[in-house]
Amino acid sequence: MTATKIVPLSAAVTLAFLAAFAPEPARGAASEWSVNPQSQVRLVTASKVAPRTGELWLGLQFRLKPGWHVYWKNSGDAGYPPAVTFQPADVLGKPEILWPAPLRFNLPGSLVAFGYENEVVYPVRARLQPAPAPTPEPLKITADLDYLVCQVDCVPFRYTLTLEQPMGDRAEPDPEIAPLLQAALDRLPKKAGEVAGVTTEVSLDAGFTNGPDLEVRVRGARADAGKTDLFLDSNDALEAGRPRIRVLPDGVVFHVAMKPRETNKPLPARTPIAWTVTNLVANGRAFSLEARRDVEVSTGAAGPPAGSVPQPPASPARLARLLLSALLGGALLNLMPPVLALLLAELFALRAGERGRAREGAAAVATGIVGSAWLVALLAIAAHRAGLPAGWGAQLQEPVLAAFLAVISAVAALNLWGVVEIPLAPADAAAASNTSRHLLAGLFAVPLALAWPVPFLQEPISYALGRGPATVAAVFAVVGFGLALPYLLLAAVPPLVRALPAPGGWLPRVREGLGFLAGTGAFWVLYALSRQVSPEGIAFIELALLAMALLAWLRHREGSGRAFRAVLAVGLLTCAAGALWLADHNRLIPRTATALSTTQTTATTNTIPGG
Amino acid sequence: MRKTLLSLAILSLAAAPAFAGNAVGDTAPAFKLTAMDGKTYSLADLKGKTVVLEWSNPNCPVSARHTREKTMIELSKLHGEVVWLGINSTNPNSGDYMKPAEELAWNQKNGINYAVLADPTGATGHAYGARTTPHMFIVDKDGKIAYNGAIDDDPPGRKAKAERVSYVGHGLDAEKTGKTPDPATTHPYGCSVKY
Repeated sequence: MTATKIVPLSAAVTLAFLAAFAPEPARGAASEWSVNPQSQVRLVTASKVAPRTGELWLGLQFRLKPGWHVYWKNSGDAGYPPAVTFQPADVLGKPEILWPAPLRFNLPGSLVAFGYENEVVYPVRARLQPAPAPTPEPLKITADLDYLVCQVDCVPFRYTLTLEQPMGDRAEPDPEIAPLLQAALDRLPKKAGEVAGVTTEVSLDAGFTNGPDLEVRVRGARADAGKTDLFLDSNDALEAGRPRIRVLPDGVVFHVAMKPRETNKPLPARTPIAWTVTNLVANGRAFSLEARRDVEVSTGAAGPPAGSVPQPPASPARLARLLLSALLGGALLNLMPPVLALLLAELFALRAGERGRAREGAAAVATGIVGSAWLVALLAIAAHRAGLPAGWGAQLQEPVLAAFLAVISAVAALNLWGVVEIPLAPADAAAASNTSRHLLAGLFAVPLALAWPVPFLQEPISYALGRGPATVAAVFAVVGFGLALPYLLLAAVPPLVRALPAPGGWLPRVREGLGFLAGTGAFWVLYALSRQVSPEGIAFIELALLAMALLAWLRHREGSGRAFRAVLAVGLLTCAAGALWLADHNRLIPRTATALSTTQTTATTNTIPGG
Repeated sequence: MRKTLLSLAILSLAAAPAFAGNAVGDTAPAFKLTAMDGKTYSLADLKGKTVVLEWSNPNCPVSARHTREKTMIELSKLHGEVVWLGINSTNPNSGDYMKPAEELAWNQKNGINYAVLADPTGATGHAYGARTTPHMFIVDKDGKIAYNGAIDDDPPGRKAKAERVSYVGHGLDAEKTGKTPDPATTHPYGCSVKY
């Protein structure tokens, strides 16, 4: 890190050195490399012999030491894009830098930068001007370049790059540089509308309590949640948050929370949105896409929620269909392994209970489930209000919540193994008749179910979040009813429980077996969490869960004293809290971040003549 | 146990930060920080005065260039009516971190004649959404944010000083005559704040 301290001095020395010894122009299609400890850069031309009229393609070729980056047109939270002026201006006009598809760099403090690493060629398009006087040939082209190169620390550099460009009536591409520049041009984002079969949609909805929501949707291309990314140019009125991606079977949707830059002014009716989506695949070819459009800032009272398509106005038929969908989704949740384990254990418990108490018990479970579903509805409303993703599946995107779900699954498994004596689905007859225990089992079923993505639930919940708390409560209640369906059936027709085999010596064995089924929940959540939390974080969360199991087992052993058991209980709780803490402190994606930008580009299809 | 965990989960959701109140027109986040010379500065005590906040880091070459060119030093002298405060939010674990005494000596040697506050936890930096050094804010006499952005229109410092558009300079001129800065927001440039 001492290198940082000498940077201002070294930069000053570099500048002084360059001023004193301006390099001789290199002959041929490239300038000399200007070299510094972090990077090297040269000016290149695609033409061995350039035409005297029309376009001349130049380029700025950077090679960067590992870990260092230079910037996109929107540098993000820090840095600045390279700035360059070309001479002679009377021949070259004002050449324009084109910006290849960028990468995202995460910096300490939840900051993000946009740019390039390793090697990048910025293509530069010059439109040759009719010169007022004949220019001497070869044309001496000079680029005055300023750029900032950063890893976490930054170093500014200024160079004058020079090359001699032979001119002629017949253009001739340079065999080495023309392919290099053509490859760079091929990597520029395509204009939306220029890729066959790919369509895009952009909308901006200001009807959100936490600021407008920008939706960018691409259809007809394959996306990869780990690679495909959205980059926005700066917008004068709105500051962009971190994009949230949802990959669809035939495309991708991004949602970005936009924050008004000035809260003492109304938002404009329309605002220009320039976006770039990188790493798409269609027709077997990888490409990026960009567009710039004036987008209407709609302030519809009931805006579309994050992660859903724009909603038509509420209609009873639609609501009925969505509620049915919620019921079906809720019922399906019963098939998810840990939920299924609890369901079977609970059914056996009801069977083991006193005759005539099955209805009461089943009703208690159902009540617990619906009550618990309402608690989750409250959480979803709170998350939505806070501008966090809140749709079905969002719970797995928040590491702390996901870790909590893993803990819950682990506790369910431990309970079924008989080492945690939360009286869920008890096996002995007396306990099985205790209504409050069934209620508790119901409360437990919902967090077990929460970790599983099932069809049918996404749309009703997204819809409800856009409508308001009452609809959310209604939809979650219906999901709860769906989940409680087997118990409701049993409460309606209690004799059904007799269809199950009578309890016997086999029951504890079966319960222990079901414990393994419940344990899969923890593994599934940890797998889902591996996208959100670092591998070390996952490993330690697994250790915390294992420690929980060990402590529970120790505590369960007979002959332990009261005080010892209390200590172990505290240890158990600490391990559970530790798992949540670990998830929070090892997240790969910071909670929030903002991104801004500066300039725009107007590229059409670019081809080097003869190149 | 379940209750404990649930309330933990709820807490974690509630604690998730929404956007900081750093938009123009928002009430500027309060702070109470110790300057490199040991004096304490609180924004609440400065009500009725226009305040300029400059996020700085002597080890950032972009901040260092402005110090060398006396951009901030001269502008703060020109606008004697405002309180100009530097804020360094560098994390003590960062290689850029300087101990207060060390930074005070550096500031004195380089002619920085305004107070620079230490924000080693980064709490004030995050509250303002400070991203770069230098990232500039003007807080008006009512304690509202009036400007949020870059010092000027020349990130690499290519232009002669007189040719640069000083956004903060124009903003302070506007504040002086009872108008509001225009533009009120720009894109800050420089090194990232070393949180």
